[in-house]
Formats: sequence, structure tokens, C-alpha cells
Amino acid sequence: MSWWKSLLPKRASDAQMNSELRFHIDELTDENIAAGMPPDEARRRAILEFGGQEKIKEEVRDVYRIRLLDATVANLKSAFRFIRKSPTFSATVILTLALGIGANSAVFSAIDAILLKPLPFPDADQLMRVDQYNPKTSSPLHLVAPVRLEDWNHLNSTFQALTGYYSEDVSESTGPLPERVTRAWVSPRFFQVWAVSPVLGREFTPDEETLNGPAAALISDRFWRRRFNADPSIVGKNLRLDGHLTLVVGVMTPSFLFPNREADLWCPIPAGLSYGQARQNNWFVVIGRLKPGVTVAQARANLATVQAQLGRQFPKTDAELSVGVEPLKETTIGNSRRSLWLLFSSVTLLLFIACTNIVALLLSRSAQRHHEISVRFSLGAPRGALIAQLLTETFLLALIGCGLGLFLAAAASDIFRSLAAQLPRVEEIHLDGRIVLYSLACSVVVTLLCGLVPAIRGTRRSLSASLAQSSRSQVSGRNPLQWLLVGVQVALAVTLLAGAGLLLRSFQQLGRVNPGFDAAHILTFQLSMNWGETGDLKKLRQFTDRILETLRATPGVAAAAISVGAPGTPFRYQTELKLTEGRADTEPKIVAENRFVSASYFATMRIPLLAGEVCRETDGPPTLVVNRTFADNYFPGAPVIGHHVQSMNLGYSGPAAIVGISADARETGLDHLPIPTAYWCAPIAEPGTYFLVRTHNAPMTMAETVRQQIHEIDPARSVYDFAPLEQRFSDALAENRLRTVLLTFFAATALSLACIGLYGTLSYSINVRQREVGLRLALGALRGQIVRQFLWQGLAVCIAGCLAGWALAAASTRLLAGLLYGVSPSDVPTLSAVILLVLVIAAAASLVPAVRAARVEPMQVLRDE
Amino acid sequence: MPIEKSDLLQGTLDMLILKIVELGPVHGYGISQRIRQISKEVLQVQQGSLYPALHRLEKRGWLAAEWGESEKGRQAKFYKLSAKGRKQLESEESNWNRLAGAVANILQTAQ
Repeated sequence: MSWWKSLLPKRASDAQMNSELRFHIDELTDENIAAGMPPDEARRRAILEFGGQEKIKEEVRDVYRIRLLDATVANLKSAFRFIRKSPTFSATVILTLALGIGANSAVFSAIDAILLKPLPFPDADQLMRVDQYNPKTSSPLHLVAPVRLEDWNHLNSTFQALTGYYSEDVSESTGPLPERVTRAWVSPRFFQVWAVSPVLGREFTPDEETLNGPAAALISDRFWRRRFNADPSIVGKNLRLDGHLTLVVGVMTPSFLFPNREADLWCPIPAGLSYGQARQNNWFVVIGRLKPGVTVAQARANLATVQAQLGRQFPKTDAELSVGVEPLKETTIGNSRRSLWLLFSSVTLLLFIACTNIVALLLSRSAQRHHEISVRFSLGAPRGALIAQLLTETFLLALIGCGLGLFLAAAASDIFRSLAAQLPRVEEIHLDGRIVLYSLACSVVVTLLCGLVPAIRGTRRSLSASLAQSSRSQVSGRNPLQWLLVGVQVALAVTLLAGAGLLLRSFQQLGRVNPGFDAAHILTFQLSMNWGETGDLKKLRQFTDRILETLRATPGVAAAAISVGAPGTPFRYQTELKLTEGRADTEPKIVAENRFVSASYFATMRIPLLAGEVCRETDGPPTLVVNRTFADNYFPGAPVIGHHVQSMNLGYSGPAAIVGISADARETGLDHLPIPTAYWCAPIAEPGTYFLVRTHNAPMTMAETVRQQIHEIDPARSVYDFAPLEQRFSDALAENRLRTVLLTFFAATALSLACIGLYGTLSYSINVRQREVGLRLALGALRGQIVRQFLWQGLAVCIAGCLAGWALAAASTRLLAGLLYGVSPSDVPTLSAVILLVLVIAAAASLVPAVRAARVEPMQVLRDE
Repeated sequence: MPIEKSDLLQGTLDMLILKIVELGPVHGYGISQRIRQISKEVLQVQQGSLYPALHRLEKRGWLAAEWGESEKGRQAKFYKLSAKGRKQLESEESNWNRLAGAVANILQTAQ
């Protein structure tokens, strides 16, 4: 196959052409001299005889002139003509491709924005999330003590700087009503690490970063626009944050969304704060910027050495700690990576299905066009030119499809934002040059995938010649390639459906889960609290008590409680607990999830107490309730109540007595089995505390009443984040739902495409065999037999496709493992149901053409021939 | 009477060129000379069709070209037959013979 060579430019240089022609003239001159002419005359005659040199050169150049452009224009023209001539066919192909390429580009735009692009900060690959953790526990809350952060900063040699922050909600009360805003307290070096500066105003001065210095805040672009209508003279004005006047010193860039997109303002936290001095008080999320050229492994080794040194210096608090260094991008993306790749593989499968469908369409199309093609062959068109023409047609269709698909991709960010607001970096998804390029690349791949096989088959000389002769009398009408394609489509559709089916089943299982508490009629909300208030625990407890008492006294409210972290949502705080009575080294260490609740929590959530009593809210030594899993795991067959435990990480709690055992509840998420849990009675509201109110009627109807009640107690406090508890469960499963919804949609599309392919191929095959059917009917065949035969032809291919799909699904379950709940990736009922569904739909799609085949009037068909 | 370019079918010229070149590497001037000599001056190829034809055949890969010295020591472009060109020549020859035979048959039979 060297037809493509003809597409490449190949030229004779003018100099070579000149010398070739000059040689000819020289020879002619010699000839004339030999005939007796004087040299001048001989040359003159030779030139005359040779003829117009320029004309010859022009004609030779013509031979080499690149025909590519002309040919492309001609091919495009003929492609447009082809599309105009067969609008239904073209529309089908274009729409299929628009969906296929559009969905693919949409998901790719999410992958590009979330997984591939660097974070929107200068040299973002130098940014690391740095954690301290105790390797013996598995708490994902790896906060760092401020004093330790300072040590790391002084002792390490691999980071330019390390900085820390924590965020809390605060009431801003310069407006008519207090407004809850999210404030991040940031340690010194914050802006050095991020390498961003305010668009308006200035960074913090050293004065503002020292203890008892002037209060200052940088505000987010979002807050600036929402609250101050983008007032350019905002710098220098004051905010009232929890009653303290704070100067606005600047506005950050819109792309600076850290710690998260909710952040409204940043305030400096001085290094010397009293509660920041204790080595066991862990507050900070730590981010570091590596020195240029330093690898993550070097940084890990360096900080491990630093921490080991600190461990020798402070054996009590630092010996057991390890340091984790992860690229910030990885921790930001988190678990979304798998969901996104799952979606991407599904849309790519979908695109392949669309392609196979189009291949089948083009194949039957080229069979219809064999006449045109053989005419062009006999007129001397080279095969390469014909293939190029057919490919141009496909490419034009793909290009139009891609253009339409880009509209879908442009809507992708809205789709993702509305379906999965929790997706990290979702605001960075948008249509840009990269996505357009990607779609174009898709169209090229699609053109080659869809166009090449039909073009090569359609231009086979022997085939086109034989078709030209035999189309009228052909009886077999078997097109193995087309049936193979149908089989492939069915297999791919089964694979997608199996994935969707398994995800749907896990959703259904989740709905059936008994969480161990009664979440109906629970209203949840938060109050703006700040960590500074935890300095006076007694006052805070009185405040919390007063709120809870008022809520309980409100008509329509049955019970009220607080809990740090809403029950049934992904909030974890696991630590190691030491038994004061001592414990043999051979026994497993006690690691438990800690929940800080009011004593009324169990009654409000209706979690039954199995033994002992509910913890007491006293000023004396704290008490706690453990769950059944805790008791079964750590004290099998032995009494639990009466033991004393102490948390290794909770600075302010001394030894606490275990006073009761509660039933198990799925505190950390409906999709997680109960883990050993310790409920600490800490009736104090902190940042992150949820108020839980059991209402008699629909929870949200009480929201306004509750807001007013609290406003009367403390007008400066903002009340926010009202939601029924059940809605929080569903929010927690949002990414799960996005996967399920999209995959189900893809699977349904795949199935419809496969059915269209099946229907089309069967119809085509029946059309070709009409004469045979007519003949057999004329010879006495029963119509039922004909229907059965064609039905079986369609179904046989589908059954083969289903088997292949089953195998494919089984092979790809690894992608799904970990995304499923309560159903195994090879769940037989789901897979059987999927295959049954596919077979029923396939049977329906085959039945229509099969019945039509049997309706053939024998006499008419035979007469037509 | 010499037959001029317009009377010579293009495919026929190609075949003649291939046939001449089959005898050994030869330049454009040599080809035109030989066609004239062998056809006993019946066929006369115009340079205006010879050179585009040579380049077309070269581009199709039926001829290969090389620069070399002529008998008189001048630089000339020599053409020789490629393997592909040899196959093409065979098929064109047999086609031509069939056609010519058929035409001859008809002419004889119809007399």
C-alpha cells in the first residue's frame, strides 16, 4: 500500500529539469552539425525543433504539483454533496458522534481540570501537605501542633517554608443581621508558601503577625463581591468579627480558594499564642513549599530525621509521631480520581459503541454505493483517492459531530457542579483550547476507527466487481463483519449495564441499611463558634446548656442534642486510648472513634443503651459511653463498665470512666460498618459542632422558629447550615450518586445504540435476502418459520455478545471494587438481570424486522427480480 | 506519414516508453530517437508529451532515474525500469496484444 506516498509532495527541481532539457537540445544540435549545418544555425534549429521549453517545464511541474489541496477541496465538496443527499443517514451519524464525542470531551474536561492540570498556584508541584500522625491509629485528621510546626520550620533543610492554618466560622456584624463567614487563621509565612499576593491592598505586616498586634484581615474575592459589591475602596474599612473590629488590608485573587471555596477571609495568627505552646494541642493543617529541585522522597526523609530528633528531645509527646508528606494536589483530588477514571472509561466505551454502530451503517452504505465506486474505478481513479474520499466524508461527519459535541462539553462544568458540588476543583472545569484540541483528536480517531474498515472494504476491486455482478442474485446476504460489530456493541453495552446495575444495587442496599439511629425528623444546624471561646469551658458549657434547654422548651421539638460531626456522615476522629488500669502488651491496642456529644444525644438519636447508664455532664472527671463493637473488640467476655481510659491526643481530657454501653450506630457514614466508638460527654459547642433537634413535623418547618429562639439568646451569633439529617446522608453520597446517574445514563445510551445496530443490521440482511424469503414462501414455508429464523439470527449474536460482555464485566470489576456497598462485583442476580434485560430488548429489536420479513409477498418479490 | 502526438493514445505512449526503457538505462533524447528509429519514422514523439510522460512514470514508481554521463561525456538523466514498471509493462503488453489481436481478427473476418 503506497497510495499514501502520492499524498506527499515530491518535486523535480527546476535546475535538474533545465539540465535534462538542455541535454536534449545539445544532442539535437550535435545531430544538426553532423548533418552539415554551421554551429549557430544548428543550435537555432535544434531549439526550434525542440519546441516551447517553458510549456514543457510547466507540464512537467504539473505532474508533481501537489494535488492534495485540490483533491481535498474536491473531496470536501463531494462529502457535502453526500451529506445533503442522505440527510437521515448523516443526521444519525452526526447525532451519535455528537453525543459520543461530546460526552467524552465533557468528562475529559473534568479529568483535565481536576487530575491533569497543576493546582492554580505558581510552581504548584512544590506544594506539599505535611501531616503528623501516629502510625498506630488511623485517624485521617492529621493536625499539627503550632509549636511543632515552628520546630519543623527551623530544623528542616528541604522546604522553603512551612505554614499552617485552621478555619472556623465567625459572626460578622457590621450589617443589619449577623452573617456567618468562614475565617482561616493563617500562621506566618502563609503567603510565602502560596506565592500569591493580594490583587488589592497589601499582605500582613510583621506587626500584625505578632501577639497583641493590630487585627487585620484579607478578604476573598467572593466575599468582596457578595458583601461589598466589589467596592474598590474596601481596603482600610473595618469588619466586626465576633465583636472585634478588624481592619481589611486587602482582597485576594478569585482563583485563591484555599482552604476551600467557602473561605471568606484570612487573619494572621501570631506564633506566640498561649494555647499554641502545648505540644499535644494539634490545630494546624500544614502546607509546605519545597525548595526547587527537591523530591518528595528527599523531603520525607528530611522531615523524618527532624521528627526523630524532636522525639528524642520530647519523648512524651513526639516519640510516637511520624511525618507524612504528600503532594497537595494528591490530597486535594483524594478519592475523585477513581470515580473520574471510571466515568472516563465508560464514556470511552460509549464512544466505541457509537463507532461500531457507525461502521455498520457505513458498511451497508458502501454496499449501496458500490455502483458509484466501480464506475470511478473504471474511470481510472486510484484506490488511494477513493479511500481518501470516503474518509473525507466520515471526517466531515465526525467534525460536525465534534462541533455539536463541544456544546455538551461547554455545559460540563455546570453539569458537574449541579450533580457533584463536592467534587474538588469543580470550579476549574471549563472549555478551553485543550478541550477543543482533544475533541478534534477524538474526531480524527473516530474517523480512522469508523471510516477505515468500510473505506478499505468498499474499495476492494474484486469485491466491487463481484458485487456489481451479483447484487441481484445474491442469496446468502451474510455479512459476518457487520454481525461481529453488533456482537461487540452488545458486549460493551452489557459491560456498562453491569457496572450501572451494580452501582444501583449498592444504592438500593444503602437505602435499606439500618443506621442504628433514627434519622427521620432530625433537624441539624450550626452556630458560629470560635476556638478562642474554648478558653473558658465553664462559660461555654452554660451557653450550650442554655441553647439546648431553650430548644427543648420550644413547641414542636421533642429532643435536642449536640454532636461534633453530624452522625452518619464522613467525619472521623480516631485516636488511641490508654487504659488507666493497665493492659497486657499482648492485647491489642485500643483505637476508637471519638464522638463528643451531649448526654441527651442517645435519647435524641434513639440509640438504645445496652448496659450501664448515660454519661454525666458534670464538672468532675469526665465519663464516657462506648458502643457494643468497642466492648466486643477490646473486652470480649469481660466487663467494660468501670474501666478508665485516657486519650493520647485529646489534650484537655483526663482519665474518663466508662459508664455505659450503647448499641452500634453507623456514625462515620451509612456505607461504613460501625467501628469501636467512644462517646465523650462534652456538652460544649465548638466550631464543627452540630445541633440536632428532633421535631414532631417536617424538620425544615422548624428552622425559622429555632433561628429566632437563638437570636433572642445571643443576637451576635449567626445560625446557619440548616438541613434535615437525612439530606446530609444524601449529600455525603453525592459523588456516589453522580457516578451512578451518569453510568446508568451511559449504559442506557449504549443499550439503545446496540439495539439500533441490531435492528439496522437485521433489516439490511433481510432486505438483501427478500428474494430468498419470497422463494421459500412460494415453495410453502410457513411464516412462523421465517420469523423464528430471523429472530434466532439476531438473538444468537446477542447471546454471544452477552457472554462476551459478562466476561468483560468480570474482567473490569476491579475498577468498581471499593465503589460498591453490600453487593459483590460479581453479583450473579445483577448480572443475570442485566443479561435478561438485554435479551428481552434485543428480542424486541429483532422481532420487528423478522415479522416484516415474513410479510413479504412472494409473487411481488419474484416479479421484481 | 508520421503519426503525431494527438493521434497517439496516452496509455500507448506510456507503454512504448516502458518498452524502450526495458532494453537498458536510457535518457529522454535516446528514447525519442529509438521510438523514431524502431517505428521506422512512423511514430514521432513530441518533447512536449515525452517529458511529462517520463516524469509521470517516474512519480508512479514505474521508472527509476539516475544522473550519469552520456557517450559524449555530457550530464544526462538516465531512466531505467523498476520492478513495478516491469509488471506494469507485462500487463499492458498482454492487454495490447489481446486488443490488437481482436481488432485484427475483426478486420480479417469482416473482409
